[in-house]
Amino acid sequence: MKKLVTLVLAVAMILSVMVMPASAEVQKPEKITIFIDGTVVTEPNGQKQFEEKWEELSGIELEIIQPDHDAYYDVLQQQIASGDWPDVMILSSTYYANYANEGVLWDMTEAWENSKTKNSGRMKNENVLDGLKINGRLYGFADAAGGGCVTYIKKAWLDAVNMEAPTTWEEYAAVCDAFVNNDPDKDGVKDTYATAAAGFIGGEAPFINYLPEYYQDAYPSFYQNEEGVWVDGFTQPSMKAAMERLNEGYTKGWIDPTTLTNGTKDCRNKLSDDTIGIFTYWAGTWATNLKNLLINNNHDAELIALPPLEGAPGFFDRVPPVWAISSTCENPEGVFTYFIDTMLDGGDMQFLWTYGVEDVHYSYKAETIMPGTDKAVTYEQGVFHFRENLETPGTTYTKNHIDPVSSNAFFAEGYYDPKADIVLPENIASSDLFAANSRAAWIVPSTDEMSMYNGDLTTLKNGLIAKVAMGEMTYDEAMAEFSKQGQGWSDLIVNSLNAK
Amino acid sequence: MNSAVSYQPKKKPLLPRMKKYAGFYFMFIPVLAFLIIFHYLPMFGIYFSFTKYNIIKAPVWVGLKNFERLFAMPNFWQAFSNTIELSVIKLVLSTGMSVILSLLLNEMNNIYGKKLAQTIIYLPHFMSWVVTASVFQLILSPTTQGLVNSILMQLGIVDKGIYFLGNSATWEGAYYVINIWHDTGWGTIIFMATLTGIDPGIYEAASIDGAGRWKKMWYITMPSLANTIITVLILNLAKIMNLFESVFVLQNDAVMDVSQVLQTYVYYQTFNSGGIPDYGYTTAIGLFRSLVGMTLMLICNYASKKVRGRGIV
Repeated sequence: MKKLVTLVLAVAMILSVMVMPASAEVQKPEKITIFIDGTVVTEPNGQKQFEEKWEELSGIELEIIQPDHDAYYDVLQQQIASGDWPDVMILSSTYYANYANEGVLWDMTEAWENSKTKNSGRMKNENVLDGLKINGRLYGFADAAGGGCVTYIKKAWLDAVNMEAPTTWEEYAAVCDAFVNNDPDKDGVKDTYATAAAGFIGGEAPFINYLPEYYQDAYPSFYQNEEGVWVDGFTQPSMKAAMERLNEGYTKGWIDPTTLTNGTKDCRNKLSDDTIGIFTYWAGTWATNLKNLLINNNHDAELIALPPLEGAPGFFDRVPPVWAISSTCENPEGVFTYFIDTMLDGGDMQFLWTYGVEDVHYSYKAETIMPGTDKAVTYEQGVFHFRENLETPGTTYTKNHIDPVSSNAFFAEGYYDPKADIVLPENIASSDLFAANSRAAWIVPSTDEMSMYNGDLTTLKNGLIAKVAMGEMTYDEAMAEFSKQGQGWSDLIVNSLNAK
Repeated sequence: MNSAVSYQPKKKPLLPRMKKYAGFYFMFIPVLAFLIIFHYLPMFGIYFSFTKYNIIKAPVWVGLKNFERLFAMPNFWQAFSNTIELSVIKLVLSTGMSVILSLLLNEMNNIYGKKLAQTIIYLPHFMSWVVTASVFQLILSPTTQGLVNSILMQLGIVDKGIYFLGNSATWEGAYYVINIWHDTGWGTIIFMATLTGIDPGIYEAASIDGAGRWKKMWYITMPSLANTIITVLILNLAKIMNLFESVFVLQNDAVMDVSQVLQTYVYYQTFNSGGIPDYGYTTAIGLFRSLVGMTLMLICNYASKKVRGRGIV
């Protein structure tokens, strides 16, 4: 009898397995609706041609909804509120965590684990995807690393004060002192500062990326410590040292006195007009842009990208924007397979997302780009080159959506990637330095307490940091003020994060 | 005794009258639709101030909890008092400066010089607040590049530049100065119009009676202007809760204790929380602001009736 039951069960299992594949097979969607910001090719820049090429490669109809870049999240929120959610949307880290938390996003953990991209052997930044997991689950896909800032220092100024690039805080302090007092621009006037930033603390995560030498291991917002416990970094001992360094830097004139009211453009101008010699800004393309700014102002343009100071844990790699599938999508597996899993396919689709459409954004034809101008460049037949920007004449494209330098996957072996021929060396150097010395920023999940109190708490913290840095308050006075006003809110938020 | 009885024609019934003026009613339809769609329907949004609402999930009724939370937050009351303080002082200073400037312009005899002066003082009003803030950040910069500080340092008044916009003690003063620069010229228009309407015969009569410029200004011009000054003050008083742009562009981390106003408070609650904002709470702040604004308007209306004999609404 037992044998008979076993036999029947075995036959049933075989039959069920024979039936299963048909239901488990991913169905190809007929149409995919995507909601995108201005980081994807815009209409004036050839979106129609991009859409046609994508449809040709995939055999799927693509509907693109692209609100104005600056109003993207306002429009997206309205779309979400309306209940008519797109299949796919681009989300910044804050929206990603919050939407995942509220059940707006489809859980793609299993799909990713079994994806062609993950198992292709071409991934170069797989830790970026791991960093996107919330409580071990993945709700979004990043095609490139988030990127971040490195510190640039003027070689000419170092030479002028006869010093080497600093590697420790003490050396950094000595260089700053020399940049303020030893006339590094050799104009005979004491009119220079070491560095400048747009505020003592940034307005968005990871907050401290514009003054990393001063903050080092301190982080004034919420993060998970090594034990996986959420803490408020503002209350940690490392903040004391950070605020004292800021105070030293400001009172000794190393940090530009107008830091509190600076915008990032003001800081770039101060670098290019020789007011400052050290500037922490984005790695990659910006290395070239800063160099060009200095050249345009007739200054020596050599910038050294500094590794983190000894003992400092490294630069923050921002949580990158992600492609997420909405939880109301009718065929999320199909959308994942045919949209997200093809984005870094190592071939034509990856080329399309990285470099755009042939003879629209780039070309191999023999031609002169921007003829009749001082920027005219002539290319021979068969040489890859970007074409003149359709929306901004006088400039050329540098990429499509995916940055070739920070892309998360290599092209397939044997597939031509023009990156080495078109990306400038300082761009690659700063990107490599950043990649070698960066750490992933935290994704902070949203809680009710966070929504209720973090606005007031952040205003309080930023004010105290500024006042200590400017010498209007001591660290102890600031912490006494924090205990009185903000400790309660901080505890409530920390407890809510640890209870999740 | 005049005992004439005024003749009042008998009114036609409503429908025939409407038929007669059908064209006007037809033309009024777009205005009415605009008012209903953009002014009255959004009022139903008041409902959200009694809910917890994050846009994604349906609003949950919480009664007066948002208001309880609001009134328990010290930052809210600070923002409220800053709003009142900054607005009222700004209003008094700007109006006062506009009056003084109008009186000075009125004394100018050269018509071309007067028009040129008027054009120059109107210009700042057309400069956006973002540009205005950038210009004054340069002028008030604590470095030697800042115009004000370089003068102070050269005169030996200060050794080190003062960070006017980066210090709570000096921020308010700088804010008022910038506002006076931005708005005073524009504010003179209404006073200049009143001054132009004063009968020149009165000045001539005063001159014959031996009155000098000062006496003419004090006994003729100022009384003629008094009603307009009160009207301007009353009308602007009703708008004092709307302070945002001029403060927002000049704000920074070190001066939030003196510069946080209700509108910027709502902004930071929405965009600085790091989570999905609670739109119920921010709507509650907006509702409170509207109620205070409405109360002020009713007070102003009452004051206007008392002073001018007619209301403003």
